Amino acid sequence: MSSHYEAPIRKPLIIGDKNFHDVTVDVARPVEGRANRQWWIAFSIALAAFLWGVACVAYTVATGIGAWGLNKTIGWAWDITNFVWWVGIGHAGTLISAVLLLFRQKWRMAINRSAEAMTIFSVVQAGLFPVFHMGRPWLAFWVLPIPNQFGSLWVNFNSPLLWDVFAISTYLSVSLVFWWTGLLPDFAMLRDRALTPFTKRVYSILSFGWSGRAKDWQRFEEVSLVLAGLATPLVLSVHTIVSFDFATSVIPGWHTTILPPYFVAGAIFSGFAMVNTLLIIMRKVSNLEAYITIQHIELMNIIIMITGSIVGIAYITELFVAWYSGVEYEQYAFLNRATGPYWWSYWLMMTCNVISPQVMWFKKIRTSIMASFIISLVVNIGMWFERFVIIVTSLHRDYLPSSWTMFQPTFVDAGFYIGTIGFFFVLFLLYSRTFPVIAQAEVKSIMKSSSENYKRKRELEGDHGHGHDNHSTEHNHH
Amino acid sequence: MKALYKIAMLAGLSMAFTACFNKKEPNYQYFPNMQHSVAYETYAESDAFPNGKEGQLPAKGSVPRGFTPYEYENSTAGYELAKANLKSPLDTASVDMARGEQLFTVYCAICHGDKGDGKGNLVKREKFLGVPNYKDRQITEGSVFHVITYGLNSMGSHANQLTQEERWQVTAYVMKLRSEL
Repeated sequence: MSSHYEAPIRKPLIIGDKNFHDVTVDVARPVEGRANRQWWIAFSIALAAFLWGVACVAYTVATGIGAWGLNKTIGWAWDITNFVWWVGIGHAGTLISAVLLLFRQKWRMAINRSAEAMTIFSVVQAGLFPVFHMGRPWLAFWVLPIPNQFGSLWVNFNSPLLWDVFAISTYLSVSLVFWWTGLLPDFAMLRDRALTPFTKRVYSILSFGWSGRAKDWQRFEEVSLVLAGLATPLVLSVHTIVSFDFATSVIPGWHTTILPPYFVAGAIFSGFAMVNTLLIIMRKVSNLEAYITIQHIELMNIIIMITGSIVGIAYITELFVAWYSGVEYEQYAFLNRATGPYWWSYWLMMTCNVISPQVMWFKKIRTSIMASFIISLVVNIGMWFERFVIIVTSLHRDYLPSSWTMFQPTFVDAGFYIGTIGFFFVLFLLYSRTFPVIAQAEVKSIMKSSSENYKRKRELEGDHGHGHDNHSTEHNHH
Repeated sequence: MKALYKIAMLAGLSMAFTACFNKKEPNYQYFPNMQHSVAYETYAESDAFPNGKEGQLPAKGSVPRGFTPYEYENSTAGYELAKANLKSPLDTASVDMARGEQLFTVYCAICHGDKGDGKGNLVKREKFLGVPNYKDRQITEGSVFHVITYGLNSMGSHANQLTQEERWQVTAYVMKLRSEL
């Protein structure tokens, strides 16, 4: 047996004396069991919100965009705010599964499945807005460069809105493939444990005949690594492209070169906050506290703190550059944010995004589940306001004072947003009862290096002590 | 066998879909948002008018800008007066024989013949007879313009097809043809 060196400073990622079978049972339990009353209540609420959103979208499409609070000055408000917000939330999933994989972060294994699910479901929500904020959504297929009978009339590839189409659709499809590939061994596990012929059949189809041979695993690892390598630039480019919707314009307050990295940082910030919110609930209701430990939450909080600080620096940079630029329109745009009619949204954004993550410097707060949960929610509120502030305050007062105006959302604006939240939770709640919410195959791969019982064993028996049969040859590693 | 079955299915489906297009009727449209005019189009029909036509007559006696009413009346007396008094407003610089010829070929030659000898295609094919040779008639600038404007006997008015200026060009060309006969 080769020796295994694991720094004793590392805390266990799997707590409780779990063995391989326990992992299987714990992951399969929510899938194999029946939904309880709370699940049905949550699901009904989400479904009601979703259906209300469907009604609001149907109303919008049937009567026109005038059902929203947009006006001739402010052509984008809640629609694009929510779009960017949802895309941003989706980014943490890929970050957790791809970037943390490239950095060999073992702690991602317990959270990547749900984070990727969150990516998929929130990108689906995001994808609704570009379609339904169109005046004529039934002609949405015209954004695709398809040969046609208009003398083969094509799209203009100069618009970031077209890049959005490519970015979002690529992002969704790559994330979906990445997610599904990772699911194959876990679906196979559920297939092999299936109790009824129906579930057996369903998971047989979903697992694509995974049999877990050495060659399969070897290729599986390679594919994961390649996809992680592809998904990482994708994460950065997708939100960069989303930020180009604003950064490439000539609007003071939008036309900034800082937007791409700052939007990406904001996306990671809000995405991790959403993962944190969801997992804090999930670890409790699905009894996964042994896998999603306080350490996971702490590490996510640290990332929230770091990206929150990056966002804070970006805010200060914007303010500095506005002052330094000597462009009075730019200066006014930021003065208007801070002291104009939407001052409250600006200061709400500042408070939520810059101040709240800074409390994570205190270990007591970042290791407190309740505090993390609240701050995660606060961050997502703050990040919604960040997009709202960037979009609306830049538009409602720009070059010509004669076109200054205000924005007032209608119930349809709100209904669409509520509907996407409902839709998201409908998907997420269904996912949490039918999919293996923890990548058990991956978690099992860190069992011997990072679980509490093996760590304890190593402490007692030295670095060789990861089996009952082969300890006691050398004792002096420790 | 299975592949053949699939091909047959696809062929059947595509036939079923394309069969919906009836050549005797306008085709189906996908969201005809601006296909049908909201504004009144010149020759369209509309219930907004008593006779259902969108081309309504202007008020009697109104004179549009750039138009001079023709003063001679549509009668033998008017014809004689025009024949005696009416002169072409075109001077040598504005007479355009090429244009007169073009217009004559389009509107007149079918009966009067390319040379004005009364042997147009319709006459040659004996669709009708009695088109005179210009040489046999005493015509002046004024009488030619008058006849194009109002018509005479079997000939109808051409004021609808030709503007005043075009009628004068045709008149000039007719006079030229007559001099060559």
